Amino acid sequence: MSRAEPALDLVTTATLVATAAAMLVRPRHVAAVARSPLLPAAGRQAKAAARGLARQFAPPAPQTRLGRLISSLWPSPAVTQTAGRRLNASAALLSFSVLADSAVQHYRGSFENRAMYTPLAVGALTLGASLFGMTDRRAARHFLRDTIYAVAAVSGLTGLGFHAYNILKRPGGLSWLNLFYAAPIGAPMALALAGFLGRGAEQVRDTPPFRRPGLLRMPAGRTLAAVTAAGLAGTVGEAGLLHFRGAYHDPFMAAPVTIPPIAAGLLSAAAVCPGRAINHLARWWLRLTALIGFAGVGFHAYGIARNMGGWRNWSQNVLNGPPLPAPPSFTGLALAGLAALSLIEEESDG
Amino acid sequence: MVDRYPGYDVLAKRNTVSWNDKTRAVIDQRMAIDPDRHKFFGDREWRTLCAICARIVPQSPLRAGTAPLAAMVDEKMHSNSGDGYRDARLPPMREAWRRGLAAVDTEAKARYGRRFHDLTPVLQDDLLRLVQNGDVHDKAWHDLPAKLFFQKRLLHDIVSAYYAHPRSWNEIGFGGPASPRGYVRMNFDRRDPWEAAEAKPGREQEARAENAHVG
Repeated sequence: MSRAEPALDLVTTATLVATAAAMLVRPRHVAAVARSPLLPAAGRQAKAAARGLARQFAPPAPQTRLGRLISSLWPSPAVTQTAGRRLNASAALLSFSVLADSAVQHYRGSFENRAMYTPLAVGALTLGASLFGMTDRRAARHFLRDTIYAVAAVSGLTGLGFHAYNILKRPGGLSWLNLFYAAPIGAPMALALAGFLGRGAEQVRDTPPFRRPGLLRMPAGRTLAAVTAAGLAGTVGEAGLLHFRGAYHDPFMAAPVTIPPIAAGLLSAAAVCPGRAINHLARWWLRLTALIGFAGVGFHAYGIARNMGGWRNWSQNVLNGPPLPAPPSFTGLALAGLAALSLIEEESDG
Repeated sequence: MVDRYPGYDVLAKRNTVSWNDKTRAVIDQRMAIDPDRHKFFGDREWRTLCAICARIVPQSPLRAGTAPLAAMVDEKMHSNSGDGYRDARLPPMREAWRRGLAAVDTEAKARYGRRFHDLTPVLQDDLLRLVQNGDVHDKAWHDLPAKLFFQKRLLHDIVSAYYAHPRSWNEIGFGGPASPRGYVRMNFDRRDPWEAAEAKPGREQEARAENAHVG
């Protein structure tokens, strides 16, 4: 074990424990901190990030005939930069989802294995790097961000191994019961996806002016579309498994297993044979998918309220009820899909 | 006796989210039972019952508080709230207790010349053992099967009363009613922060410290 690991472990543990202890022992002080001028500063930064995100959604400015001609010959730097930052935003949402979900569920698992702190540390780093990427106006790739994304990808894949081991070591091995109640097999993939998409973001940003962005020796748009479609398929599988465990008792529980698969299908179709109509349709389905990611948080909050004792009994129901931070993964993936789509359009224009 | 859950008090959960109004009302009612009050049994039966309870579940005066077993059994008879099942070879609950207590007392007089509650603990145990084995033949038993009465009524109701009392929950580290807050760590050897901490030998202080925060 290298020297840095225990130190990192200690720092993350101490921070978590201190925050939790402060909230329990001195709730008033925590409230005072929340009202202090520190947070408005953070708020301003978040607003700046949100404005950056909103700008990416804004329709492209009308181009002159000459400009159109030029852009039809070479991709404009603005497109690669927008797509890059949108991918950073997608990685931000995915890593936020991982950070919050693993914090809650690994706390529930009493951090029995020290490796259970990893997604908290890596998720927080990835979230920080992604927020930085969203607000960074410079086009180029950033070494630190790229490294953090690589670490996230590796940690996510390692986590997959740990979760698979957790399932297989239980009596019954690979059974429905263990897939339902042991460590969720799909969860660590969200961190790996944040890493993949983040690395994609950095590479797309790093495209030299008037060169086509490429990833893994393919046009970047197609590679990202494939990664996003696979990620959507995995997330749909996870939601399908756990909503099946919940017996689809609410008709809205069918939404995440019906809408995102169509979005993934349309995105794949747009990657294989792009066209105006298919791109348009894929864009709207991806937007709908992004929306259900947000709506899902609301439904899950309602699910928690429906449990005995409702939100007053939060220390039971937040842990035992539907996971609040899980649905934004769909939003994150949909954002990546939208970025991939805009790159595909750019590629097919030429 | 070794205290396996040092410092654990299930009643510390009373005003936390672990319990709701209904749970509080039920437990308050149980805690308010007067150990000397008897509404169903007569004085004669009451004395025998108290003496039997003291032999079936002896409670150390050194421990804080005792469960009022006789009064809890009396309360059950008074409200006539049965278990929902009964061995058909025994008469209904109330009748079985009345006849059983009278028979134990008569048997004591016939064998030792004294009423059951006046016997020494050793003789009381001897007599209860005879009842348990069905070796009692006084005609006071009539058609009441002594062995079954001991097993399905006497033992069942007294031990149930003992473990229905929060004081006993502290002893066995039981969390009490899980309503509305239940459990979220359901694997083997896992503990929620609102569950009792069991002391490993030599590490009693750790458990005591954790139990101070159960709520």
